[in-house]
Amino acid sequence: MYLTREEERILAGEEGEAKAEALRIIVKVGEALGAERLVPIAHAHVSGISYGTIGDHGASLLEDLASRGARVAVPTTVNPVGYDAEDPGVLEKAGARITPEFVKGQSRILGALRRMGADLTLTCTPYYIPEVRGIPAGSSVAWGESNAILYANSVLGLRTNREGGPLALMAALTGRTYYWGMHLDQERVPQILYHVEGGILDEARAGVLGEIIATSHKGHRPPLVNARLRDEIALREFLAALGAAGSLAMAHIQGVTPEKPPEKPEERITISAKDLEERLDKYRPTGTPDVIFIGCPHAQASDVERLARLLRGAGRVRARVVVTLSKREYSRLLANNPRIIGDLSRMGVIIARDTCLIVSPFGQPGTRVATNSYKALFYLSKRGMKVSLAPLKDLARIAVEGV
Amino acid sequence: MEGEAVSLKGRVLVEGNATGKAVVVEALSFYGEVDPKTGTLNDGRSITGRVLVIGRPRGSTVGSYTIYGLKYYGKAPKAIIVENDADPILVAGAVLAGIPLVDRVMGALSAISDGDQVEVLSNGVVRVYKE
Repeated sequence: MYLTREEERILAGEEGEAKAEALRIIVKVGEALGAERLVPIAHAHVSGISYGTIGDHGASLLEDLASRGARVAVPTTVNPVGYDAEDPGVLEKAGARITPEFVKGQSRILGALRRMGADLTLTCTPYYIPEVRGIPAGSSVAWGESNAILYANSVLGLRTNREGGPLALMAALTGRTYYWGMHLDQERVPQILYHVEGGILDEARAGVLGEIIATSHKGHRPPLVNARLRDEIALREFLAALGAAGSLAMAHIQGVTPEKPPEKPEERITISAKDLEERLDKYRPTGTPDVIFIGCPHAQASDVERLARLLRGAGRVRARVVVTLSKREYSRLLANNPRIIGDLSRMGVIIARDTCLIVSPFGQPGTRVATNSYKALFYLSKRGMKVSLAPLKDLARIAVEGV
Repeated sequence: MEGEAVSLKGRVLVEGNATGKAVVVEALSFYGEVDPKTGTLNDGRSITGRVLVIGRPRGSTVGSYTIYGLKYYGKAPKAIIVENDADPILVAGAVLAGIPLVDRVMGALSAISDGDQVEVLSNGVVRVYKE
């Protein structure tokens, strides 16, 4: 692989042993993939930092790197963790069991990331952070977290591969990643157009559309999608579904993606409204759920405000409603309306920061969950829960009236 | 070493010399299929101190941390060889753990059986001494 003089110096340990090791990992992975060189990145987003998955050895690795002087070279954000870092017990009302051992292990991981200079916003939607939205389209970044990767490539025009495990962190520590895959112009050109017939799609239909495309798409080039997505939630849930159900890193969405698609795609596939309704039939709520979950990926303040409008005038909800969002959106919510969280809480709505039901020790086989997120359905079903899918306005009605 | 050797060659990703008895797995996800604290596979076989032979890597990206965990708990294999392409999960884990890694070792799965003595050289040559 071609390396610049500066990269040679870093590999030789002139900027510290930890940075040399981080760059060695990036170079070796790049060589294994056949990359010709590295590319500087503008930002990193680190996933896979839950104590539940990486354990004591993961915590020790991160502490070791921090002790050896590893520091992020570019602005770096971090994925959610198993509990609300400012209120660890908040999800216990929804049945999550957070042990002191879990909090201790997770705190070690967060402490090490803080020492390395990461921004501990703890969200899977770094794309809603104003500074991140300010990164110019066309810039290379290194992101973990599939929904964020899809959003970065497809909506913001940023360029990132799916950097799982420790790879986004190693890119953060070196300010570089391998110049391969989604960083290359030709890898971003779609070949297959999916024309979606029928009306405007809410987030539940957008989610099943994501599943249909992810599970039938051939090749690794981004699909070109011509669909009428109703709003930002539908866009977010479509991309999250695409990321959960498959291995794509980008979708080229007409009218959204900043890059210009080819005038004549090589293949055209039509998806009818009936196809979507039939797929959604598999997931419709059939009974009153134990928990209604909103905020996978993390909700925006405006989503919570919409929920509050839909629930206005109702008494206590009949099913626990859990909304998860980033601490930044939580602050924005409070700034807009200081009483909203207290009002919702009195109705039985739990609002948690820094976490979500997928990464927290929530639920057990058989727990009934209704959600507006196909991605949440995908992952919670894997844990044996009975999960159904419906848009926010239907979930609000179910919360008040049951099914 | 005694006996007749079969010689294979692969691509060196993490350089090193190592010798050990083979443990052969057709497809492996380190996360969920290897216990880093005990160094055992889900089927009970130990990979500690062995040469781990993988047909193709797969599975969750958390696997890199699991490979590091094997080293951390003193349960690491001596080397890892892969018949097909190593994926980023395996490469990152092997660099972090300092475990020699050779991929694109054509014919590894048919040439190597559990218990064979395997010698991995830093130039990517893999010698197999049948049990």
